[in-house]
Amino acid sequence: MQQSVIPISNFQLALTVLLVMFTGGISYLLKLGLLKNLLWGTVRTFVQLTLVGYALTYIFYINNIWLVIAVVTLMCYVAARTAVKRIPDVDSNLTLLAFFSLLSSTYLVGAIVTELIIAPKPWYSARIIIPIFGMILGNSMNGIALALDRLYGEARSRAAEIEALLSFGATPWEAVRSSVQISLRSGMLPTINSMMVVGLVSLPGMMTGQILGGADPREAVRYQIVVQLMVAATVAIGSLIMVGLSYKKLFNKDGALQPFVLQSQK
Amino acid sequence: MLFGFTDIIPPLGQAPFEVSAALNEGDVLVVRGPSGAGKTTLLRILARLTSAGSGEVFLQGKNWRDIPATGWRSAVHYMSQRPALFDGTAAANLSKPFELRALSSKKFDSDRAKALLEELLLGPNIWNNDARTLSGGEAARLAFVRALLLEPKVLLLDEPTAALDGKARDAFYRVLGRWLEAGGRTAVLVSHADDYTGIERVCYLDINPERVGNKDAAICNTNL
Repeated sequence: MQQSVIPISNFQLALTVLLVMFTGGISYLLKLGLLKNLLWGTVRTFVQLTLVGYALTYIFYINNIWLVIAVVTLMCYVAARTAVKRIPDVDSNLTLLAFFSLLSSTYLVGAIVTELIIAPKPWYSARIIIPIFGMILGNSMNGIALALDRLYGEARSRAAEIEALLSFGATPWEAVRSSVQISLRSGMLPTINSMMVVGLVSLPGMMTGQILGGADPREAVRYQIVVQLMVAATVAIGSLIMVGLSYKKLFNKDGALQPFVLQSQK
Repeated sequence: MLFGFTDIIPPLGQAPFEVSAALNEGDVLVVRGPSGAGKTTLLRILARLTSAGSGEVFLQGKNWRDIPATGWRSAVHYMSQRPALFDGTAAANLSKPFELRALSSKKFDSDRAKALLEELLLGPNIWNNDARTLSGGEAARLAFVRALLLEPKVLLLDEPTAALDGKARDAFYRVLGRWLEAGGRTAVLVSHADDYTGIERVCYLDINPERVGNKDAAICNTNL
């Protein structure tokens, strides 16, 4: 059953430009104004992935634990920056909170998955850790971004209710509790929904990759189950930490709503 | 003096004013001034929902800095011009504050709530109505009852009668007057041209943006 990967030659890779021409043609004909972004995106896809390919080859070859930790931490930082991008009035503290949430949830779940469940040899095998942590991080980042975006949105639209609760003597936490619940739900819902249809609507990327790489689908599925559950756990933990830390930023030191929550969005 | 404030200035970016007042128990302070003068801002500052530019507020001789904000806000209760109602029935809205930790020692008195609703000319049918379907006048009175049940020391009411007709307005001041008679209570309200029948002592504070730089202090009269 084990087959090897069918390699894609340079010429074959160049043929994918055909696909870009389709996308570009549609953008041109319908005047979508996406041509420039499309070309830039295509170039970046080629360059970034090629570089990552070389970098990973090198990192796997060196297989040094400190290098692995440095790479994962850097990935967390980039993910944190991306997760808070959509929030207006963002201050550097929020990025720091996102970084902390991602770091703690990713390392916690990642450690359980790689060390207890997969248990590679040596235990810090970069070939296992980096892809697994990468998958965790990508999902966790989306979960945090959704939850955070929703928390700020809910606080704005429910500002009158929140202030009414504060006026009754509610603590900030009591006043935003229902907004926090909604934002955590919206952070976790995509992950939970994807668990419902996984394998039915589409084959997840990781499993597809293993199958293309020649793995037995029954083995690939076992990995995918682990990935699916670890993603759910990370999204839950990451969003909880993020929302738990950042709801306070909606309030001033008197526990009243910050002016930016009460004003219309710029 | 039960409640007072000295040299309150709004935060930067708001229409400027500088106001003071001293209220004894039973007094009602009426804040007057043209639209945009900062009447709502003043009430929100007193409730510590907006930070003051500067100034001091006192409750029962204690400076506001010495009282935690959450406790302050349940004792100095602000009712917005468009009071927020929550999903659920009118009754659920009245008992909502009693779910909070700060009010866990108090109990929701449904008989008292029903009696107050009746005095404010709201029929018993309203009890189980969906709060989101109430008219503006009904919502304002429901929120007023909710505020009274909290038993604050100071009620900050932002145009509480704007949505009420003449009869309901009279009922409102009757209920407010009786609430004040119980002692240890005072109210600050933003309102336009009411005659405040039923209120014993009324003080006026005029916020006038055309007199910027002048300090405005409240003047109290016995209401005749």
